[in-house]
Amino acid sequence: MADRRRVNTGSLATHLVLSLGALVMVFPFLWQALTALKSLAEVSKVPPTFLPDDWNWSSFDEVFTALPFREMLTNSALATAGRTAGQLVFCSLAAYAFARMRFRGRDLLFGLFLSVLMVPSSLLVLPQYDIIQQFGLLNSTPALFLPGMFSAFGTFLLRQAFLALPKELEEAARIDGAGSFRVFWSVMLPLIRPALAALAVITAMTAWNDLLWPLIVNTDPKTMPISAGLTSLEGQYETNYPVMMAGSLIASLPMLLVYVFLQRHFVQSVAFSGSKG
Amino acid sequence: MSLFPATAAAKAADRRATKPAPRPAPRGQRAAYGFIAPLGIGFAVFYFWPMIQTFYFSFTEFGPFGGHTWTGTDNYARVLRDVTVWQALGNTLIYCGIGLVALPLAIVVAALLNRRGLRGVAVYRALYFVPFVTLPVAVGLVWNWLYNGDFGLLNEILGWFGVDRHYWVSDPSTAVLAIGAVMVWSTTGYYLIIFMAGIKAIPRDYYEAAELDGAGPLRRFFTITLPLLSPTLFFASVICMIQSLQTFDLIYIMMGEKNPAVGDTQSVVGLFYKWAFIENAQGAAAALAFLLMLLIAGLTYLQFRLQRKWVHYG
Amino acid sequence: MRRRTLLCSGLAAASAPVLAACSDEGGSADGGGRTTVSYGMWDPAQVPGMKKVIAAFEEQHPDISVRIELTPWASYWTTLKTSMRGGTAPDVFWMNAVNFQLYAAHDVLEPLTEHIAHDRTPVDRHPEQLVRLYSYDGVQYGLPKDFDTIGLWYNKALFDKAGISYPDTTWTWDDLRDAAAELTNPRERVHGFCSEMQRQIVLYPAIHAAGGYVLRDGHSGFGDERSVEGLRFLTDMIDRGWSPPQSAMVENIGRVRFWSEKVAMVHDLSAMAGQMYAVPALKDHGGVTVLPQGREHTTIIHGLANVISAKSDKKAAAWKFVHFMAGRRAAEIQAASGVTISSYAGTQDAWLKSMPEFDLKHFIDMEKYGVPYPSSKNTAVWENLQYPLLGAAFSGKGGIEDAARTLGKQMDRALKEERS
Repeated sequence: MADRRRVNTGSLATHLVLSLGALVMVFPFLWQALTALKSLAEVSKVPPTFLPDDWNWSSFDEVFTALPFREMLTNSALATAGRTAGQLVFCSLAAYAFARMRFRGRDLLFGLFLSVLMVPSSLLVLPQYDIIQQFGLLNSTPALFLPGMFSAFGTFLLRQAFLALPKELEEAARIDGAGSFRVFWSVMLPLIRPALAALAVITAMTAWNDLLWPLIVNTDPKTMPISAGLTSLEGQYETNYPVMMAGSLIASLPMLLVYVFLQRHFVQSVAFSGSKG
Repeated sequence: MSLFPATAAAKAADRRATKPAPRPAPRGQRAAYGFIAPLGIGFAVFYFWPMIQTFYFSFTEFGPFGGHTWTGTDNYARVLRDVTVWQALGNTLIYCGIGLVALPLAIVVAALLNRRGLRGVAVYRALYFVPFVTLPVAVGLVWNWLYNGDFGLLNEILGWFGVDRHYWVSDPSTAVLAIGAVMVWSTTGYYLIIFMAGIKAIPRDYYEAAELDGAGPLRRFFTITLPLLSPTLFFASVICMIQSLQTFDLIYIMMGEKNPAVGDTQSVVGLFYKWAFIENAQGAAAALAFLLMLLIAGLTYLQFRLQRKWVHYG
Repeated sequence: MRRRTLLCSGLAAASAPVLAACSDEGGSADGGGRTTVSYGMWDPAQVPGMKKVIAAFEEQHPDISVRIELTPWASYWTTLKTSMRGGTAPDVFWMNAVNFQLYAAHDVLEPLTEHIAHDRTPVDRHPEQLVRLYSYDGVQYGLPKDFDTIGLWYNKALFDKAGISYPDTTWTWDDLRDAAAELTNPRERVHGFCSEMQRQIVLYPAIHAAGGYVLRDGHSGFGDERSVEGLRFLTDMIDRGWSPPQSAMVENIGRVRFWSEKVAMVHDLSAMAGQMYAVPALKDHGGVTVLPQGREHTTIIHGLANVISAKSDKKAAAWKFVHFMAGRRAAEIQAASGVTISSYAGTQDAWLKSMPEFDLKHFIDMEKYGVPYPSSKNTAVWENLQYPLLGAAFSGKGGIEDAARTLGKQMDRALKEERS
């Protein structure tokens, strides 16, 4: 009986901590929604109001007339898909080699790859632009995702996931006579599914919200993603925040769906512990 | 397959002790290079070649519209002489220190969210993801509203306890902390996703075995979750350090240009951005970026050395 | 609710080029013998006006079409510089004073002097100071399209409440100070004035009104005694509590405080008239007049210009467009759109009439003593020194003299560097 009560207070405390945290996490999003429902005059009012004086839904309509929303969403989706798929393929291959194979120059090469993370990304924007231009890809969908398909972050994340796997699995497969790629593809890759899902979510989110790069390579509105499109609502002196917030709310829905779809891949441990190997 | 993490760790340590490993077979080597090649080629084209180019440019004076003249190490001398660089470096290190706070927070929340049988856990998970999909501008707006010196909620609440009104983001003594807090807020969700994935990879039988041994939740956290999560934790701490040493966007969004505390909150990458894109000093900006890279590389190397003491691989 | 409609139309029109571009099959290619000139700009609010001007131009030149490329202000210059290097910049684009000399000095702009002479472009119909802003080493590279001056906006209701008379053209700095003191009401968190750290709108006008200068013959004026006097006039208001300190205006800028009736008087641009007009309270009891006289009558005059990229391969068509934009017809259409004052003399009537409640004529009258926006080859470098160095003094921590002198020295060093 006493034990049971301890469990209850325990989960009560958990709920308390989690919901407090959740409130803090959601607050800006909530603010975004409330801002979208205010009039432009109210947004810049001093002192600021919390709830809208009168609930104004017109910003949501305006988004669709202010921007070619559908085209831009399509561009965003393509850019996001390209970048995410590229990272999952290229990073998992390289990460597997770095984590589970021995070869000359491995650590040096890995260090070199990591160095990509250590310079501010805007340092490389100009030469990257030149390369895209030489490929004749300015104002195209591939321009949006090409450089982003190759990621040191993803390689490092997946390498750590591979490293955490028990060695015995691989050895068992080897004894069965499977080649390197077979072992990688059918034994090891499925085991790091949680990490792959996490990488997919993070990459998708980054690609979806990417701003500076799309604005530089794709100046033609019909090739712009929605992230860049929304900033064209920004004026020099004043920004139409309600419309911008409404637009970003709508734009963020697909990402929430992606997350809900992927989240089961990275929550709660599997009952199976790799003992099938 | 070892059932207890302690043994797994010991085994890993053993393996390391028996180094150097036998020379790998040439066929295996070729396969390894094959695995790396696609990424390597992409990196070479889109990152290494641009890095080599900009490294060269860091020894030149670079025209805003192309064209450059060789100036030797002038740019590096300018960076080292500039007092604002040192001030920015100091700020950056503070941001990095504050930024690391996100890690323990994220681990605790990840562990809580992974509790089986907790009601509404799926809802929490979705809610904790929300900061990800919030537009950075909205983040800036809401925090500036909370911090607002004249009409902000924070001052309002502190007022109930008799604390005086304060201009949080424009007072140099509190601005760095105020930004740091938002930084922690915005990165916690990010590491949460990584940690949740890491925890999921921990086989459930470990917990079941420990439960049979009568270990409470706290003990299970420290003897199973934490050690087995250490490869992920190592990853997160390296990434967190690298990224907080490159903090910029958030400061830019929150501070604005006319804030009297701008100089006191400037980060190294902020300075880089200003030089490269506003003041047309690309050469000096590149030099600054490479010096920062050197610092980050050094700290990362240190972390890789230290990991042997605390990271357990399978 | 007027604000709503104003912005709605702005937004709807902002989308127009985007949509137009989508349906434009040929892209920028010269298909079907028609030359397409791309036109780079950043302000969504001006797109509707520009569309009308373009329509008029295309009517006159059926062989040329103009396509707007709208880039957000925040990334306009970065994007432009990058595309300039790559040779993909728009053929014609907006230029401002801060950036002009950098572009001109690097020969990336097409010289217009000969074209102007050949086509007798009515340059003399535009304010002389403004035309001069866009010439470099005696060569004209840009033609002004609009201009901005700074005026004193005030809230009549707050004046009535304090029982004092409204500002007029006879006002001096003493009147401004006295009124600011009277109008300040700490209990309601109302201030008389905003000594905001804002170079174009507040700092430069104050410096010039005191008889000082910002930049002259390649030297900084911040160390000049009269310049310091102008700045001290501003910081003094903060020290006395008649203006919020800069630390408070970071979060709520003067303009926003004025809209919310938390401040009685502010300096602001003529270009903001439309926004002021959209605030119901201000449409009802807002007013505007010339800047009060310090030692001198002054304001800062600035305007945007159209320039042609030196790398454009459609220069002939691009020039035809720029020439048209500098003419009377284009100016009248632009003025009627109500966003900015056209720089072509005598075409501003439509703008004046669009907001009859405001006495907007003051903005045009000020042109005669307006000081052009100061700029040099690398303006951004020394401009970036200003806010960090003056910040403390503008936050009520005193020491404006030392700060201004330090700024003067550092600015001189930056100016020396840009010449070398």
